[in-house]
Amino acid sequence: MTHLLVMILFAALVSVVFCLIAKDTLKDRLLYGLKVFAEFVGIGLALAWILYFLPL
Amino acid sequence: MAETKDKARTAADVWLIGAAAWAFPGAGHYLQGKWLRGLLITLVVCGMFAIGLAFGGHLFGLGGKEALGASKLLQLPPTIANLGTGILYLVCWASNSGFNDSAEYAKLATFEYGNTFLLVAGLLNYLAMLDAFDIAVGRKP
Repeated sequence: MTHLLVMILFAALVSVVFCLIAKDTLKDRLLYGLKVFAEFVGIGLALAWILYFLPL
Repeated sequence: MAETKDKARTAADVWLIGAAAWAFPGAGHYLQGKWLRGLLITLVVCGMFAIGLAFGGHLFGLGGKEALGASKLLQLPPTIANLGTGILYLVCWASNSGFNDSAEYAKLATFEYGNTFLLVAGLLNYLAMLDAFDIAVGRKP
C-alpha cells in the first residue's frame, strides 16, 4: 500500500467520525465529512510538496 | 423549548452510557438507540485499531522495562491515547500482544503509520464517548 493510499484511508476514516459527532442532519454530515476529507488530503499533499523541495 | 424523551435519564444512567462508550466503541450510541451512528463508530475505531496492528504499530504502556525514571512520563500521553480504545486495549494488555516495539517491527515502512492509526483510534473513541454523553444529558439530538 502506498503512502498516498494510507493517507487517504486515514483521512476517510477520521472524516466519518468527525462528521458523525459534529453535525446533526444527514446533509450537513455529508458536506462536513467531504470538507474534512478534502482538507486532510489537500493539506497533506501540499505539505508533501513543500517538504519535497526542502533540502532535508 | 423542545422536550426530549431522554429527560428521564438519571445521572447514573448518563455516566453508565459514558463508561460503556469508552469500554466498547459505539456502545454509548447503541444504548440510546442510535444504531447507525454506533455501528459506524464501531467499524471506524475497531478498523483503525486492526489496521494499526496490521501495519506493525505498537501500543504504549507504562510498564515497559526500557523506559526508566522520568522518561516514563513521555509514555504517558500516548498511553492515554491508546487507552481510549477501551476493551480493545485491555484485551491486548491482558494477552500481552501489540506492545512489541522491537527493531524488527520498527524497521517496517508502515511502523509509524501503525502507531498513528492506533493512537487516533483511541482519540476518536474519546470524542465518540463525549458525543454519547452529550446525547444522554440532552445537549444533542
